[in-house]
Parts: sequence; structure tokens; C-alpha cells
Amino acid sequence: MGLIEEAAERVGDEVNNLKLNVQDAVEAMAHEYAGSLYDSILTTKLGKVVGWAQKNALWPATFGLACCAIEMMAMANSRWDAARFGAEVFRASPRQADLMIVSGRVSQKMAPILKQIYDQMPEPKWVMSMGACASCGGVFNNYSIVQGVDRVVPVDVYVPGCPPGPEALLYGLIKLQEKIMAEAGTEKAKKRVA
Amino acid sequence: MTGEEIIAKVKASLPDAIQDTALPQGDAVIFVAPDCLQKVAAFLKDDPSLKFDYLSDVSGVDYLIEEREPRFEAVYLLYSIDHSHCIRIRVGIEEENPSVPTLSELWKGALYPEQELFDMFGFHIEGHPKMERLIMPKDWVGHPLRKDYPLTTEAVTFSYNRDFKSELVKSKPPTR
Amino acid sequence: MTLNMGPQHPSTHGVFRVILEMDGEVVETAEPEIGYLHTGIEKNSENKRYVHVIPMTDRLDYLNPPGNNLAFCLATEKLLDIDIPERAQALRVIMCELARIASHLVWLGTHALDIGAMTVFLYCWREREMVLDLNEEISGVRMMTSYIRIGGVAKDATRPWLDGIYDFIDYFPAKVDEYELLLTKNPIWMDRTQGIGVLSREEAINWSLSGPALRASGVNWDIRKSRPYSGYEKYGFDVPVYKGGDIYDRYRVRIEEMRQSREIINQAIQRLPTGDYKTPDNKVSLPPRETLHTSMEALIHHFKLVSEGISVPKGETYVPIEGPRGEVGFYIVSDGTNVPYRVKLRAPSFMAIPGMCQMMTGCYIADVVGIIGSIDIVMGEVDR
Repeated sequence: MGLIEEAAERVGDEVNNLKLNVQDAVEAMAHEYAGSLYDSILTTKLGKVVGWAQKNALWPATFGLACCAIEMMAMANSRWDAARFGAEVFRASPRQADLMIVSGRVSQKMAPILKQIYDQMPEPKWVMSMGACASCGGVFNNYSIVQGVDRVVPVDVYVPGCPPGPEALLYGLIKLQEKIMAEAGTEKAKKRVA
Repeated sequence: MTGEEIIAKVKASLPDAIQDTALPQGDAVIFVAPDCLQKVAAFLKDDPSLKFDYLSDVSGVDYLIEEREPRFEAVYLLYSIDHSHCIRIRVGIEEENPSVPTLSELWKGALYPEQELFDMFGFHIEGHPKMERLIMPKDWVGHPLRKDYPLTTEAVTFSYNRDFKSELVKSKPPTR
Repeated sequence: MTLNMGPQHPSTHGVFRVILEMDGEVVETAEPEIGYLHTGIEKNSENKRYVHVIPMTDRLDYLNPPGNNLAFCLATEKLLDIDIPERAQALRVIMCELARIASHLVWLGTHALDIGAMTVFLYCWREREMVLDLNEEISGVRMMTSYIRIGGVAKDATRPWLDGIYDFIDYFPAKVDEYELLLTKNPIWMDRTQGIGVLSREEAINWSLSGPALRASGVNWDIRKSRPYSGYEKYGFDVPVYKGGDIYDRYRVRIEEMRQSREIINQAIQRLPTGDYKTPDNKVSLPPRETLHTSMEALIHHFKLVSEGISVPKGETYVPIEGPRGEVGFYIVSDGTNVPYRVKLRAPSFMAIPGMCQMMTGCYIADVVGIIGSIDIVMGEVDR
């Protein structure tokens, strides 16, 4: 009898948590998109234009760490041209970049430097976590690899693969562009430049 | 020279410095105590018929699980460019204050691998100019490649194993 | 003045940090700092079965995955004391030489890009895409193929793969000539690379350099010739050795090696032996799938190999191979179970770093970039 009660209690807890989470999420979404209802048509359209400009000129910062960096270089080369999407200029200095593609495994020694480079980038900035190691620690579940770069920086797009082919990385870039357009002109885009 | 000839020559010239010899799959292996290491290495480098002028690698092994005395071992791989033969020196190191003399005066290429031995196993290399962490962060505690150092302190986050998952669900605190 | 050439830098070929003490533009000392890519693969391998270690070895020197696989498999096979069929050996040689060409193309592209020649970067990747397409054809993955397994290779050669290799070896020599046309007699290239980063013969041996850097300093040491493995004694090829020891000679050694690798692939594929692509010993390699329906022993062997893995006899061994960066080898200690006791990679880039920093003393800051590029370090194998 005790087991059934315990199970019923656990299910009840889970359902409660789900209800509260859904409530929170709906409230947050409503707040963010409510902003656009009160903006005039002019500022929303202006936001969309700004978003269009941002997405078509994403300048990645060179943050190639390991094997994924080779596939990132392959994406920048002539077969899968990233220049057609505006992301051809890989800036060496993070001060001039707005997209950080974390390509490769992040070790415990490298994590503070990753945070420092992210902090040095001017806003608005986006982070793409390329590969399995950057997304979740990948094949390496041990003392020295940070299990997912989102423990250090906020990530916008995760691209799985080991290493992801250049076409997968380009798909990730296109999805990031769609995200920028969807957020353009709303509260979310304004939060990025806070 | 073949493996047997090398071992015979070394044993004949330095009978008291060599603890044991072996010939696994044709490779020449000699077992040396830490205090005789520099003498043996200098002989191997200078003798004209052996002339081991190239140090290939220095590895460390922790024999804790096999419960072997001595617990640690440092393995030196030497080649001869002119004669094109090779030898492996295995040095047994005690568990209390593990230390081994440096070979960096004979071969400069030994500097980095010996520093890594200190970093990963905790061996004290006598005479090495720089006993610092090489691969781990400078303030890391512990020597990762020892057998009593855990591989990871984090459990796997996602598993298709149902019992495993229920444990995780039970321990996750509610979000509100 | 202290200048930090930090881990995030476009020209350090990975996460490598050098702290330069400068006197104006001249470097007085160069202090390297590594460990920013430490992955703990050696400790992770002590908890995995032998066949699971092979994909981890792919990710060590990530520009030469078949070479790492081969070094690990050769060491394990030496402990197991088994023979590899000739067809498997030839297929291994073809994969390793293709990887050598691909790795040298990455080296040439990034090295030339650092020194300023951007066209070469785009040209090299164009040929590299052909090699990666071949990899994808035979193993399904572009880079981390894990094609070379204990006992042989993973899959037999397919007709499209062989056709692709024939096309590649017809197409490639003209491309190497194109790179040479762009760089070898180029006065800017020669000014920036000749006489810089010189290491004499004795110094190169003492600092434990290996591979093209050692051969550019006048030492005729190539493991494919002096301790041949996997059937290399059957192929006729030259080993380029130059005496200068500077960046220019290392460049010429690698360009010539690309030509010789193409020659080896040509010979291997012209006389590709027929036979098994993996050893018929079912205690080591999986039995053919058709026999699983009819033979009980095959079924049991398959089950044991997949669930438990191979059990390697107790012992320790080291087998070196010649990788694109130098001597790669695995020192494996086995305790008789199906999990290795200690796996240690002898990484050529790791051993080359102190020698490289020795080369940097006394040269200009712009030459530091050229020197790092010419030694061709890959941080995946330095930090493991």
C-alpha cells in the first residue's frame, strides 16, 4: 500500500511542477511579445530591418579549439561557402565579432578563457555550440572536459555531430538567422543589447 | 643488433645495475633501479656499438590494481638512429615519495615528458629545472593518471536505463 | 616586453599559448604553455574496451585519424600475436597515406595562410574535400573514420571507392605542381622562410624531433623504412631529406612527401591483393554475417565480441608508426582483461614543442608564426 501511495504522490508532484512550469513559460512569452503590441508599426518594421542586417552579416570570432575547427574551416572554404550567408570574415579579435562558434571540446583550463572572450565581444552577440563536445561534453565524460559549454556561456544554437559536417554547420547558421529574424523588433532582441 | 644481443651487451658491461631483462615479442627491455638510471642511460648513449642517441618517449604506469611492488613505473624508450635498434628501460618507483633522476642532461627531449610525469603521477624528478604542472591547470589538486583518482565525479545525465532515470527524477528538486 | 600569444589566436594552430619575452621586435625567450585541450583520453581509455578506445584515438591527432587507429591496432595485435591478411594491410596503407596527404594539405593551407598566401588555403581544401569524400564513401564519416580495427579493417573496399582513388591519383600530381608554382620560387615566401628557425642535426636528435622536421635537418629517419609495418617494405618510395633545417626545407620535405604518398597509393591500388579484409580468427574479429544464420560457433563468437570484447594477453608493448607529424606510437600495458590497463600516446607534436621554442629565440615576432606553422603541431595530441 505504501508503494502505491508513494507512486501517486510522485506523479502528483510531477504534474504540479509541470503546471507551474507551463504557467511561468506562458507568462514570460506573453510579456516578451506584448512589447510589440505597444510598439508602433514603424518601430517594429525598423526592428525587422535591423534584424535583417544583423543576420546577413554575422561575423564569427575564430574560436576553433579542436577537430570541429577543421570542419569550420571547411565551411568557410570554397565548397560550402559561408560567405554566401555573410559569415565569411572570421575576425581574430573578439571585439570585432558578433558570433562565437565554440567548435571543439572545452577543457577545465580553457573555460575561464572562453568566458573572457565571450565577455570581450560587444553586444548583440550570439553563441553557436558546434559539435557534441561543446553541446554536452560529447564522448568525453571525465574530470577535464566541461560537460557542455552552456555551463559557461549562454548558447543560441546547438549543432550536433562529431564533427558536424560543414553542411550541418551551415544549417545551424541558417537556423540562427531564422532565430534572429523571429526575435527582431521584439523585447527579446532589445534584451540582447541591454 | 637484435634484442638479445643488446641485452647481452648491456648485461655484460653493467651487471650490477640491471635488475632484470625481458624480451617480449622481440623487444629488448631492461629493468633498472632509480639510482642506477643515469649511469645506465649514459652508457647506452656513449657506447659506440649501442649509441642510443634518440629518446623517443617517457611514460608512467601505476600498478596499483595489479598490487605490484613497486607501485609506480617509469618507462623510457630509446632509439639509435645510426644502428636502427631500440631498447625499453623500465624503472620501478616506490609509492612513498616517488622520485626518479632526470635524463634531461643527456637528452633535452626528456624535459617535457618528465614534467608530465610529475603532473599526471606525482613523481619528483630530481635535477629537472622546472617541476610545475604542465597539462593540468596550475592550481589543480591531485594527480589524474593515478589509479585512485576518479575518472569523473558527475553521473551520466541522460540514460535509457529506466531504473537509473527514476533515481534522477526522485532527486531533482521541484522548480518552484 | 612580455607579449602573450594567447590560447585564442588565429595562427597558433589550436589552443597553444606562448609567452614571449621581447627586446623590441626580437624574441629573447619563448615560454610555451599547453594543456588547454586536455581531454583525459588516456584515463578514459582505461575504462573502455579495446574496440571502444579506437574512436577515442581518432580524436587525438584529429588530422590523421587512420594513423592513430593504426598505431593502436598494431600495438594490440602485437600483444595478441596475430597475423593480418595482406589485403587488410594494403587497405590500411592506402587509408594512412590518404590521411597523410589530407593532413599535409591542412598544414600547407594554414601555414601559407599565416604567412599571408590566402589562395593556397582555398586550393588545398579543394583537394582535401576529395579525400574526405573518399573517407565518407568507405566508412560513412568524413574525418573520424575509425576504419582500421583490430584484426584488419572495418569494411571491404567498394567499387566507387576504388574508382574515386584512381581519379584522385590521376588528378593530384598536377595540383602539387600548382602549389609549388605558387610558393617554392616565390621571393616573398623564400624571404620569409629561408634561414629561419634553424635546428642543426645534433640538436634535432637531442630535442627528440621526429618526422618531416627531423628529415629537414638532415637525419634520414623514417619509420616506414627503418622499422616497416603493415607491408610498407613492399612499396618503392623515396624519403625526402634536406640539410638546411629551416622552415623552407620543412616545407619542401612535406611537398615531396605528398608526391611520394600518392606514389605509394598508386602502387598499393595497382596490386591490391585479394583475400580477407580482416583476420579470419573469430576470437578477434567479427564473423561474416551470413554465417550467423547457420553456424553456432559464429553466433557465440559474435555475441562474445560485441558484449565483452577481445581479451588481450598480459604484457606491455610499443609499436611506432610514421605519422604526418612524426613518430606516433601507443605504449599499451595490458593486464589480461578486455579493458586496457594503460594507454599512452607518444605524440610527435608534444615532443617537438620544447625544440620549437628553442628555435624561436633570436628571431622576429613575425617569424614565430612561421615556425609554429612549420613544425605543424596539433594540440589534440599534445594535450591528449
